[in-house]
Amino acid sequence: MSEQKIKVIITMVGLDGHTTGAEVISRVLRDAGMEVVYLGVNQTPGMIVNAAIQEDVDIIGISAHASNYSLIEDVISLLRGSGVHDVPIVVGGNVPRHTITDLKAKGIAEVFAPGATGDEIINYIRANARAQNERAA
Amino acid sequence: MKRQTDYGYEIKNVYTPADIPNFSYEQDLGDPGVFPYTRGYYPQGYRSRMWTQRMTAGLGTSHEANQVLKKYRDMGQTGGMCVISDRVFSSCIDPDHPLGEKEAGILGWPGSSLLEFEELMEDIPLTGQSITLLGSCAPSPLRLAYVVALAGKRGIDISQVHGSVMESPFENYFGQTDVSPFDQNLKLFLDACEYVLRNKIRMRACIISQHFQESGGNNAQAIAIEMSMLKEICGRLVNERGLDFDDVSNLPYELVSVGTRFFEEVAKIRALRRMWARLVREEFKSDKCHLLITVHTSGRTMTYQQPLNNIARCAIQTLAGVVSGCSALDNATFDNAHSEPSNLAARMSLNTQHIVAYESGAADVVDPLAGSYFVESLTNKIEEEAYKIYNEIQSQGGMIAALKKGYIQEMLSNEASKRFREIDAKERLVVGVNHLIIPPEEDFQIPIKEVHANDSRAIAERMAAWKQTRDQGALTAAIRTLYGGAKKDDRFNLMPSIIDAVSVYATVGEVIGVIRKARGISYDPFNIIECPFELV
Repeated sequence: MSEQKIKVIITMVGLDGHTTGAEVISRVLRDAGMEVVYLGVNQTPGMIVNAAIQEDVDIIGISAHASNYSLIEDVISLLRGSGVHDVPIVVGGNVPRHTITDLKAKGIAEVFAPGATGDEIINYIRANARAQNERAA
Repeated sequence: MKRQTDYGYEIKNVYTPADIPNFSYEQDLGDPGVFPYTRGYYPQGYRSRMWTQRMTAGLGTSHEANQVLKKYRDMGQTGGMCVISDRVFSSCIDPDHPLGEKEAGILGWPGSSLLEFEELMEDIPLTGQSITLLGSCAPSPLRLAYVVALAGKRGIDISQVHGSVMESPFENYFGQTDVSPFDQNLKLFLDACEYVLRNKIRMRACIISQHFQESGGNNAQAIAIEMSMLKEICGRLVNERGLDFDDVSNLPYELVSVGTRFFEEVAKIRALRRMWARLVREEFKSDKCHLLITVHTSGRTMTYQQPLNNIARCAIQTLAGVVSGCSALDNATFDNAHSEPSNLAARMSLNTQHIVAYESGAADVVDPLAGSYFVESLTNKIEEEAYKIYNEIQSQGGMIAALKKGYIQEMLSNEASKRFREIDAKERLVVGVNHLIIPPEEDFQIPIKEVHANDSRAIAERMAAWKQTRDQGALTAAIRTLYGGAKKDDRFNLMPSIIDAVSVYATVGEVIGVIRKARGISYDPFNIIECPFELV
């Protein structure tokens, strides 16, 4: 039986157009054997949550370029409000340290600041994405 | 560790005359002010005109941005102001749009109407300094209309105003995204450029490599892209809009991203001047080839870890920008990877420029590195590499054709990934990031400037209430005229009707919305709100 690939959403949120980080990480995760659904720019929290449910992903990665944090909090509450509790949300970007603490307190599983290596991100996702056997049939 | 330029040229341990065979001073360099302008456009360099020393502003409300601009003036920034737009204005929606109210005033100035520009410019002169308004391409005609309208209100002759407020449609592919279709952006950008040139307004247009490079492109790619963009835009203004190249040559404004690899950055800008001079002769049969070259020290190189280290990086980059002979310089700040500039960080960056200007001696002599075997060799090398890429883009039919084929996007994406892998593998060392790392708890704490969601809501609520107070009759009439014009051929210039609409306080969402509608697409780029006007 071949193991199913980990399925990841990588997305921008709101009107932010700084896509380099999200695009580079999408490539890094694909090269590591994961299935990446890259949503691109101009995604509302609702669009991200709908895509996560429809695509039945194992983890959500949001790219943040400073100050979009209330939108990220909206993604958490919408996703949990939809009854999805086992799909972690991680954030990557230039997030100030005290905001990292705030976001984690509000339910973000991990924040990858600039300088995080590809291996750190890959290993975190392998260890923390929704377990393969919990996946809907 | 790699000892290579960012475009992969292996650096030798020493350079000698053998590295610049066939070197001809007259052909390759020429004196400053003489073709091919490798050494710069001005014989006296900074002695005749000091570069404009400036910081970018824009955050929170227009009143707050106005305070910041005044503060910068107190810090000695009187040669020019530079304001960047927020994401809402850049996306051509209003702060009271459901998506706008979350992000108004975040990461920029919420310039969605002439009212905001009036507040931004309160007690700040429109003349005697360059007015630079940055953002995405789509709202370019609005930014120009604000300047024209405010000059009118203040009774200032518009020909006395100079600066740069238009941005090319290419930036949309390089991180400065807006949601307008490319063909609409191109049309409105050409309209704004044509209006400026026909009315002899001294406004430049950003046709810039900075965003491309900050998104991950390398130096050789950046100048190849710059040449391709310049050729495409200037060519269209000449061929489609019937303008004379000698006038068009006054338009382009190039913002170059300058990183820490000092000699390579200097070589890049020297090569850029030489390549443009030759391209202008060959393609446009003209000798008018003075590109306005401004420098942005690279935000991408400002590290999140140990942010005070960025002050050293910024100083090296500033010196590179100055030695290469720029017309204006704005710095990324040491807190760039954390937030918008704090007052402390802004002062630090401006003072970095002042130290280079007044203490280092670098501003006293023109093109001081000319004749260095290493720098001349690097200048030749980057030119050679850039021509290969430029020729490939031309063989695909030019910049727009190459974008439509995805060639440019693929090149940028590959390069950004390569750069990430090089740092990941420690082939490139970045102090504090992948080399000489310290634990986060030992890191310096810096002040962080923040804007909160509540501030955005306040901007949105103010706009919603203010919209009702406008002269609805005049507004509707101006919007209908604009709508009628926007249904005409693409070469029908919409700038006059945009200025009329903006002058009666039509907002960016309204102006771009009705243009969209006239072009057969939805009023709201996000399909959430309806057009509030009855259009006939």
